[in-house]
Amino acid sequence: MRSGDFKETYADLIVLSDSRLVWAWAGVLVVALVVAPFVVNAYVLSLLTLVLITVTGALGLNLLTGLTGLISLGHAGFLLLGAYGYAIVVAKHNLHPLLGFLAAGVAPALFAIVVGLPSLRLRGLYLAITTLAFSYIISDLILEAKSITDGARGITVQRPEFFGLDFSSDPSFALLCAFVAAVALFACLNIQRSRIGRAFMAIRDNDIAARTMGVNLQAFKLYAFMTSAFITGIAGALMGIYLSFVSVEGFPFLFSIEALAILIVGGLGSALGAVLGTVFIVLLPEAIRILFSWFGGALESLLSTGVHEVKSIAYGVAIILFLRFEPRGLVGVWRDAKRLWTHWPLKY
Amino acid sequence: MRLFADLVASGIAIGAIYGLIAMGFAVIYKATGLANFAQGEMSMIVAYVAWTISTTLTGNVFVVVAGSIVFAVLLGLAVERFIMRPMLGEPIFSTVLVTIGVAVVLRSLITLVWDAYPHALNLGVGRDVVKMASVSLRGAQIASILTLLAVMGAFYLFFRFSKIGVAMRAVAADDRTALLMGVSAARIHAIAWGCSSAIAGIAGVLFALVYDLSPAMFQLGLKSFPASILGGLDSVIGSGFGGILIGVAENLAGGYVGSGLKDVAGFLMIIVILMVQPFGLFGEREIVRV
Repeated sequence: MRSGDFKETYADLIVLSDSRLVWAWAGVLVVALVVAPFVVNAYVLSLLTLVLITVTGALGLNLLTGLTGLISLGHAGFLLLGAYGYAIVVAKHNLHPLLGFLAAGVAPALFAIVVGLPSLRLRGLYLAITTLAFSYIISDLILEAKSITDGARGITVQRPEFFGLDFSSDPSFALLCAFVAAVALFACLNIQRSRIGRAFMAIRDNDIAARTMGVNLQAFKLYAFMTSAFITGIAGALMGIYLSFVSVEGFPFLFSIEALAILIVGGLGSALGAVLGTVFIVLLPEAIRILFSWFGGALESLLSTGVHEVKSIAYGVAIILFLRFEPRGLVGVWRDAKRLWTHWPLKY
Repeated sequence: MRLFADLVASGIAIGAIYGLIAMGFAVIYKATGLANFAQGEMSMIVAYVAWTISTTLTGNVFVVVAGSIVFAVLLGLAVERFIMRPMLGEPIFSTVLVTIGVAVVLRSLITLVWDAYPHALNLGVGRDVVKMASVSLRGAQIASILTLLAVMGAFYLFFRFSKIGVAMRAVAADDRTALLMGVSAARIHAIAWGCSSAIAGIAGVLFALVYDLSPAMFQLGLKSFPASILGGLDSVIGSGFGGILIGVAENLAGGYVGSGLKDVAGFLMIIVILMVQPFGLFGEREIVRV
């Protein structure tokens, strides 16, 4: 049993994890993720891929909303830009897929500067609604710029193939998504424990105080927007490849809400929370399907006619219930469980 | 010139509907300090209830309007009592996200309870075309403009002279002091939600009279946001004007440039305005102290 935490150097304080056990379990998880795509059936594999892509996107939003405290209702716009960035470079101009991923990150990041500039003057709700406005403007721009984006027709995207690796089969594509999600997770965890991440959190907790402590608000808010848009854009590119078709309809406004729901359910401002929230929200419709099939009969027929609606209602109710009863999200539940596990039968 | 006049007139008419919903936003923002993202959904559900009354019970316009207003007020009160009041004292971010949750639930409920097809709300009024000078408008469009003006006037008097209106301003300014002075903040919040839902409901019914009912009506709420932001979230009367500005801008953009721009004209406009006036045209500047 560990008996308290004693840190002697600053490096100890900010290390990702000082416990060997945690690293061991992380290793097990990595092995499981590498093996899983080759052993599970096609349906579970598609869910796994969706979870991995969504994790990447949720981590992107978490940097902005969870860490820096800037509410964005327009992340579907960044996803869309990322998907189009990839599709235009790879599918339309036949360039290298890695260049495509680069474009999928850089295009939203550049646009994020345009979106982020108002954030320097706006606060809270005014900012949230401005980001909402920008996501609608992005969709409109894409529809209007027909010569570059093919407008409403959309672009068909093939699975990529590079460095002699072929990602056209489902398991190998899931591996690619797992790799990207892992990189995004590490990037977020490392940003959190760096000077930049602490500046973000200072801005979230009290921006004026942060400024008096020497945090350059303009630079860091823009930086948060750009990093967040970059990661979200990569997720958008993966999403486009996964759907094998990129169009404005494929990335509805509901995605922005879904991403916020993930963060709330998981626990705002925590990378672990983003992961837990994604698993919860993506698997929620499955859980409902199973639950309804137990009751059978009328409920099951309701699900077959209005599967989309039941799914959205479940999101909505999940958001409301979590905010009402567990504002810390699943990560809070997880910490409680951990504390109970280490201290039982004692209370503290 | 003829086209211009027509565009402006119908822009004012649709703007009046945006304005009404935007005033609903502003009333809730003013009293409780949060933006209700479910406003568009609330007006949609009230319009659907009005349609159900008109097809199952009676098509009498007064009964339908009265019934839908009563439903709207009850809906607003229910949302406030059961969903928003337990969230009192939580950070604004969480409460606003709760309203987003409500919006998602209401939106899906509509497709689940009713259906996904458009319907015409036919009350036998409002579809006739009225010609004035060179401009022709439908009866219901004129009715929306008049309703907006009436509601704006009523709110001006309400905030200025009625006890509840003054109490509402007090709660908005500083809820703790208001509580100490004997104002029940919970009751003020309930009144604000009821009022706001009623206005949104009226706007929904008017919209359904002019155009049609469809599950895409919640977009009214998204379009009214710019209106409310433009006027300033905390300025009820300003939001009404904001709605008209957005409606006219949208119609002019649609008529002279293209339908793509029509959908985002309002959004473009608020981005430009917010760059200059971060709290809207009539909004009060928030002073932040460390």
